[in-house]
Amino acid sequence: MATPGFPHSTAGDSRDPPLPASRYAAWAGSVGELCQLVESLTPLAATIGAPPPPDAEWYGQLFGKLRPQVIREPVLVVAVCGGTNTGKSLITNVLVGGEISRSVPEAARTRCAVASLPRGLAAGTDLAALFPGFTPRPWSSGDDALGGGEAGDDLLIYRDDPGGRQPARLILVDTPDVDGTLRENWQRAEAVRNACDVIIAVLTQQKYNDAAVRDFFAAAAAASKSLIVVFNMVNWPAQRERIAGWLATFNAETGAAPLAVYAVAHDFARAEAGTIEFFPLPELTGGVAGAAGPVDLAAVLAGVDFDRIKLRAMEGAFRVVLDPVTGMGGWLARMEASSRDWQEARKVLAEEARVRVELPSAPRELVWSEIWDWLEPRRSLVDINLSRVYRAAGRGMAWVGRRVGIGRTAAEKQDDFATVELAALKQALAEFIDRLDGACRRDPRLGSLLGEILVNGDRASWYADLERRHGELPMVSEDYRAFVRGELDRFSRENPKFLQVLLTGLSLGSVARPCITVGLMVAGAAAVPAAAAASHGLTTLVHTAGDYVVWAVAPLAGEGVLGLTMAGLKPLIERLFAGWSAERSRVLTETLHDVVLGSTLEEIDRRAGAAARPEVARARRLLHDCGREFSR
Amino acid sequence: MTDSPTSAAAGAPPPSGFDDAGFDDLVTGLDRWSGSLPDWPPARRVRAEWEEVAARLDRARRELSRVLVVGVIGGTGTGKSTLVNALAGRDVSPAGDVARPTTVAPVVVVARDVDCSWLSLDGVGARVVISDSPAVANIVLVDCPDPDTQGPERESNGSAPPHRPSDTNHNRDLLERILPACDVLLLVATAQKYRSWSVAREVAAFAPGRPLLFVQTHASRDPDIRDDWRRELERQGIVAPAIHRVDGVEATRRAVAGIGPEEGFAALVQAIDEELVGRAARRVRRTGALDLAGWFLRQAKVHLDPLRQPVAALGAGIASQRGRLEGLMGNAVAGKLKASRPAWQRIMQDELVERWQGGPFAMFLHGIASLGALWPRLRAGGLVGRVLAGQGVPHVPSGDGAWQSIEEVGLSEAEVEQSRSILVGLAARAAIGEPMTGRARLDDSAVQVSVGTLMERTGNWLVGGIDRLVAQRRDRSDSPLVRTACELVFSGVIAAVLGRAAWNFFYGHLWMGRPVGGLGFLEEALVWIVMLGLVLRFLLFARMRAGLDRDIAGLVTRLPGARLVDPFLQDFATAAGKVSTFLDAGDDLSGRHEALSARIEEGRSSLGRLKGPVA
Repeated sequence: MATPGFPHSTAGDSRDPPLPASRYAAWAGSVGELCQLVESLTPLAATIGAPPPPDAEWYGQLFGKLRPQVIREPVLVVAVCGGTNTGKSLITNVLVGGEISRSVPEAARTRCAVASLPRGLAAGTDLAALFPGFTPRPWSSGDDALGGGEAGDDLLIYRDDPGGRQPARLILVDTPDVDGTLRENWQRAEAVRNACDVIIAVLTQQKYNDAAVRDFFAAAAAASKSLIVVFNMVNWPAQRERIAGWLATFNAETGAAPLAVYAVAHDFARAEAGTIEFFPLPELTGGVAGAAGPVDLAAVLAGVDFDRIKLRAMEGAFRVVLDPVTGMGGWLARMEASSRDWQEARKVLAEEARVRVELPSAPRELVWSEIWDWLEPRRSLVDINLSRVYRAAGRGMAWVGRRVGIGRTAAEKQDDFATVELAALKQALAEFIDRLDGACRRDPRLGSLLGEILVNGDRASWYADLERRHGELPMVSEDYRAFVRGELDRFSRENPKFLQVLLTGLSLGSVARPCITVGLMVAGAAAVPAAAAASHGLTTLVHTAGDYVVWAVAPLAGEGVLGLTMAGLKPLIERLFAGWSAERSRVLTETLHDVVLGSTLEEIDRRAGAAARPEVARARRLLHDCGREFSR
Repeated sequence: MTDSPTSAAAGAPPPSGFDDAGFDDLVTGLDRWSGSLPDWPPARRVRAEWEEVAARLDRARRELSRVLVVGVIGGTGTGKSTLVNALAGRDVSPAGDVARPTTVAPVVVVARDVDCSWLSLDGVGARVVISDSPAVANIVLVDCPDPDTQGPERESNGSAPPHRPSDTNHNRDLLERILPACDVLLLVATAQKYRSWSVAREVAAFAPGRPLLFVQTHASRDPDIRDDWRRELERQGIVAPAIHRVDGVEATRRAVAGIGPEEGFAALVQAIDEELVGRAARRVRRTGALDLAGWFLRQAKVHLDPLRQPVAALGAGIASQRGRLEGLMGNAVAGKLKASRPAWQRIMQDELVERWQGGPFAMFLHGIASLGALWPRLRAGGLVGRVLAGQGVPHVPSGDGAWQSIEEVGLSEAEVEQSRSILVGLAARAAIGEPMTGRARLDDSAVQVSVGTLMERTGNWLVGGIDRLVAQRRDRSDSPLVRTACELVFSGVIAAVLGRAAWNFFYGHLWMGRPVGGLGFLEEALVWIVMLGLVLRFLLFARMRAGLDRDIAGLVTRLPGARLVDPFLQDFATAAGKVSTFLDAGDDLSGRHEALSARIEEGRSSLGRLKGPVA
């Protein structure tokens, strides 16, 4: 029996060329690649605050419909959907011709998707792949449908068609409700809806205009699923005239254009017996009101033009994916926008998280003794003897000073220095934490990432770590020695004439008060010309920028004044001191990087760079290409 | 009469019934409590919730005896309007199956003689109809729009969504403006809609403090689902002692035709009459108010409970940081005290000399002391030095000098800032921040004040400690035995010298005629006397000095008791204390609420109510 508007397989008289599955099989490559790109981008998108794709319609169509079905032997999936207690299971059982899903008086009892398969299909089909997200389980009784578990434990009960009359490529699925208090039921119904080609919408006079029901079927209509509407529990024929109005509301709200409409009378006895009747209402779909007799809906389903409906559903699914606003492109745009917000956050961090560390003046003899060591073999005998005299005299003076209690031994001086230096580093750490707090307040995105560290981090252990690193740091490291020798070698190579100047310069006490700036994400910061360059495993994102100032120059001997003013020497001395200080302050950057921030900086960088990922560009290009091909 | 009245009253279980005075006290207590800590964000949130609840409680108290407003709520097509018509005895609200939703404006049904001018339903387009039906004679019935035909709020993502007829549907918004005015909710459901998510959401939002009546409609068409509905309600945290089952269409037909009602409908009318009218209305309002207060306390608990552990951790953190700073201070102070030997020596000498008067050795000690006094005393620097020198607590310099002035007692800006920074983190975990606590770095004025307090306290503590220590040592050396021994030895030598000199003079010179030996002997003797005196003095002070280091260490162990470093962490300690008090006060109020609820538990009606959170 032909229903107008209903594509039937009319083998002989179709003027259209046959529509083989190969039409959409050609999209397989693009679909597969799009899926891969989405999968690789999804974790990143979730972290940068873009909407999670699984909530979107396009995602459901791409992963639930296109990917599983684009290369498979085409099967037609018919889903029976509707609100709680509207009689979905009853209708499924009638269509199957035997009890497959238990129909009970209580609402929202069907918890699983229940599929009736044509005989022999189960053996040759990977149901888990065809219905992604579901765990297939063979049918044992009608009660199976009632036994679904919590969210995440999504079962697909399947059974070979008990009547044996189901067409070879047709799968009929009963679904849980779309409006009850158990949200996992909605998700299961939506997953089946995404996978299906034909939807039998079970409506009642109570439930054709509920928002939850409307939204469910509107999404199906947007994806060009073929829709068959069944009004259940109708006071037949008293309410027959009402149905046109109900359907008009439903169509207007959902944008659906049902292929056919049927009414099922409210008849408790027939429902109990499983012998309900479907009364066609062809006048509602543009046909002519025919005889009022009931029809066999199962036979109607068997007679539809599978290929055309399938192609329509596949094209509809692809159209949803390609929609520039609500489709995948829209998601990419949201992701890019989120990524831009992270770039902003990175800027805020670079501005805020920068601390000047006021280190104490370096004990000059430490640096000088390195320079002496380098110079020793290059000096003349006179020089050496002279300097020995000076040194002996200096030692004597120091001894006297110590005796009267105003001088300190070298070791004591170094201890004093280390104490003051540690205090400065700790204060810098405290200020850094305070500034990070400020950055979090300024930018909620930073707050979301760093807040956890700042609030739940064990700050006491950060300080303990800084103290430990500082304690382990030798006064003069091998790295620094190498740096000093390198600098001096370079200087003497470039300025051989100035060697003498350098020697006289040594009688100077040049005290450089270093000021180190520790900052995060400082673009193009001048790296300190120091052993920091040889820092072990330090990220380039924590910079130590040495902007040091010469604080005081105290000449001890008259001729030394001359030496310092000579070109090249002053910068050299400054570099040597600054290098030493930068190396000292490295413990702070190490603590910040290893203990406080961990991988957070890399994470921020990753998020800020999300939009620039090649996957995004590739996805855009693919969507563009597919859209062009599709519109042709 | 064997029992005295007092013992009977003490032993008897609390009288059941509603304790008005107790409830008023509870409300006053809740009001004061919720507003007691406005600086703490979680408490502010509790306060905001309280302000909504308080308005309702206040209204319930003022309008204790007026009729109850019953809001009829349920999904579209469940027969709300049909039921309202049946209760009103005539068609007051359009009902039917022509189009959904049928009711788009609320209908208020009142009896002819009831004044409902107090019912504020402005701006929702409510229509008031008068009914003479006995079923609604003593209540106000409101037929509400449905919650399930209005679509979800659409997020505006730049592109206008396709126009749909339902875009103009605001039934749920209307419902949410009507329900606050209702005292009781009459929940209508059918077999198709009793598990409706959209209805459950509205009920969860409006059930607190509102008793519930449950009615399954479409009784003639649908199976009886009341048992399953009750299970579903339990899952939503609602107890439903009774669920009525009626057929609205049939009831309306009978009411219009003047035939007596069927059984289910009669039971519903009876329940309304018994549970919602007259004295029962007062009871409903009071228990509703008590339930509302209970709901508020449960909500507050939900907000506050996760913070209990962080608040405790902050308390522990304050203790541990205080301990750390006190440790630093103790080490530095002990080192400083131990290093100041000359100062100790002088204190002890002054102390001893002042007490020893008379006697040759005492005179000798005085002599030595006054010789020492000829040297000008160096002006001692630093807190410890000044205290040891008896020069009082120095003035706190401003600026960076403030920090430098306490460096000698082991505290520095960096150490204090470290402790405060750690506490800022712990406080943030407990949602405590500015203005309850300051930042890690103290500002200049705070530094000035804190350092000043620390110096003053430390100075006083040191003065007391040193005085006590010196007094102990003095008492040890100042025993009459030691004193007598010293005096005897010293006087003995002097006496021996004088005796010898007298012998030489009287016997040797006058008697034997030998020449006077000159002053040579006396000079020699004087040297010996002075040397002996010095030895005695040395022994005496050695005895006093013995174990000084140990005693200093003992003094320093008593440092935590003096609460010296508190000024630096005061804001955190105060905040943690306030928050703990707030949490405890909340627990106390919950206990009082439970006691009040227990009194009325037995007198509960068959009305349903929200009992706990959703399972």
